[in-house]
Amino acid sequence: VAWWSRFPFEPVDDERVVVHLRRRERLLLATVVARARESLLSPADPTLQRLFPTAHPDDPARQAEWEDMARDRLLEARFAAFDVIEATVDDEELTVDQLMVWSQGLNAIRLLLGTALDVSEDLEEVDEDDPNVADYAVYDYLGYLVDGTVRALSTHLPPDGGA
Amino acid sequence: MPSPAEVESPTGDEVLDPDRPWVVLVWNDPINLMSYVTYVLQKLFGYSLEKATTLMLDVHEKGRAVVSSGPREQAEMDVFRLHEHGLWATMQQD
Repeated sequence: VAWWSRFPFEPVDDERVVVHLRRRERLLLATVVARARESLLSPADPTLQRLFPTAHPDDPARQAEWEDMARDRLLEARFAAFDVIEATVDDEELTVDQLMVWSQGLNAIRLLLGTALDVSEDLEEVDEDDPNVADYAVYDYLGYLVDGTVRALSTHLPPDGGA
Repeated sequence: MPSPAEVESPTGDEVLDPDRPWVVLVWNDPINLMSYVTYVLQKLFGYSLEKATTLMLDVHEKGRAVVSSGPREQAEMDVFRLHEHGLWATMQQD
């Protein structure tokens, strides 16, 4: 069975999820998280802006207030997510709460990478001499993982939505 | 007869009711997965899979969708949580 033919996260009960990742996938994740952490520590990086969207596009004064209120908290939330992924990257099992943090953290990394690659909605073929070919592969792989977190976590949502 | 202080002075279109509800919009972006956006809307707002999928498809096909509305503080909290999850959300007064 090839690794891509199965789901990466398998719910076992109400609180736990088994992680089906090979060692080299875990090593890749650790590398990718470390690289994202470096990006967040480089405020000049323009791709970072994607993690801090504008809340009030038509009101500069309110937007300035918003940034004062939200930016540091959003930054801290990403560092906290990276901490959790790094601390549990070799674990065979995660709690559902930990997997929620993985989902947000991996999605944030995918946003950074996709912004840097300037991806469009329809993934096109990558040129064989494109210097970013490895980054496209990591981007696709992160999509597979984020989708895997959603599959596993969706089993923990109330079926009728409750709203 | 009301005293002058009790009469609202009409000043044309500029009179805005500060209590008008705010709406929270999610905008389309080329990176977030459709499954992830649907999941986040279910998780944050308690929407059914059906309703969250409809909103996600509105975002995908029409470019944006109103995902919640309410007082300013509630809208700010919703926008913050959407940003925390990487969705592209804005708020405006209805």
